[in-house]
Amino acid sequence: MRFRGCSAEKELAQALKNGHWPEGCTEELRAHVAACSACSDLALVNLAFRKARSESAHEAPSVSSGLLWWRAQLRRRNAAAEQVTRPITIAQLFAWTINLFVLALFIVWQYGHGLRWASWCSDVRVSRALHLFSTTVAKLDWNSLLFVPSLGALALLSLLVVYLVAEKS
Amino acid sequence: MRKRDTTGEYAIPNVEACAAARGDEPSMDSDAFGGFYQRSAPGLRAYLARVSGNPALADDLMQESYVRFLCASHPEGGEVNYRRYLYRIATNLLRDHWRRPRAASIDDVPEGFLAVGDASSRIDSQAMLDPAMAQMRPRDRQLLWLAHAEGYSHREIAEITGLREGSVRLLLYRARRKIARLLRGQMVTERRRG
Repeated sequence: MRFRGCSAEKELAQALKNGHWPEGCTEELRAHVAACSACSDLALVNLAFRKARSESAHEAPSVSSGLLWWRAQLRRRNAAAEQVTRPITIAQLFAWTINLFVLALFIVWQYGHGLRWASWCSDVRVSRALHLFSTTVAKLDWNSLLFVPSLGALALLSLLVVYLVAEKS
Repeated sequence: MRKRDTTGEYAIPNVEACAAARGDEPSMDSDAFGGFYQRSAPGLRAYLARVSGNPALADDLMQESYVRFLCASHPEGGEVNYRRYLYRIATNLLRDHWRRPRAASIDDVPEGFLAVGDASSRIDSQAMLDPAMAQMRPRDRQLLWLAHAEGYSHREIAEITGLREGSVRLLLYRARRKIARLLRGQMVTERRRG
């Protein structure tokens, strides 16, 4: 939609902006404004708003600039701190995931071998309490003892790599 | 140089995306901000108060506008551009406030609206302008204040409000016609009264 205002609007707007209206304007412009509804609207509204604006210009702000400055600084610091702790949070999440994965893998693997460690519990009796240590050591699967620390070390290394990458980004 | 968002408008800063998060130093020192605040705060508060019709809300939004302004990386071009950027932040905060769903409460009704009929204790321009402004749509109030109180051009208003320049021109023309009619009606009523 094309819109065309009055041709004298620009001249009137300039006069209003410079504070020349109405005394500093030509008789011709004043006569035009009296006859033109668009221009008379412009003059009326502009004067009303400018007066309201000049009256509000003397109102003192309710808070000091120092308080706002301090609030902005605080917000900047909080945002920066959040940015710094984000990689740590990601790394922690990743570590938990890896640990749970390793635990699940271990359980599945042990289940596949018939849950031999479960028999330890049935072997534990008061009368055989003194022999517990030697029995346990004898029944341990030494492969599992190597497998779990390997996965743990892998998880820790992955964690470190993720942390370093996240911190760098 | 500020980043432009996907709509081509300048992105309004938020805390997460602002320069603060990158650990940059503020681009305005405390003293410079103090001076800028003293010069710009009355105008910004008047804009927010007249457009929202709620002085308490205007205070809150004004403070938030300045805090966000300080958190952002400022546009180039000095105080004129700073001020325009500030109005853009304030305009977006107003828009967010209106979009936010909330339950109507008597506390939400500004005192000014309840006292519209009693103009005796107010100065003339407020007694004339406030009742007329209360009958305008919020967007029209924004456009009228930016154009006539702040003296912004159509292009600058388009940048502040996110509207197209052609739309600003047309909407402003209609809003001006409507508020002029209301002001004239108000003047006639005042004359009859006294």
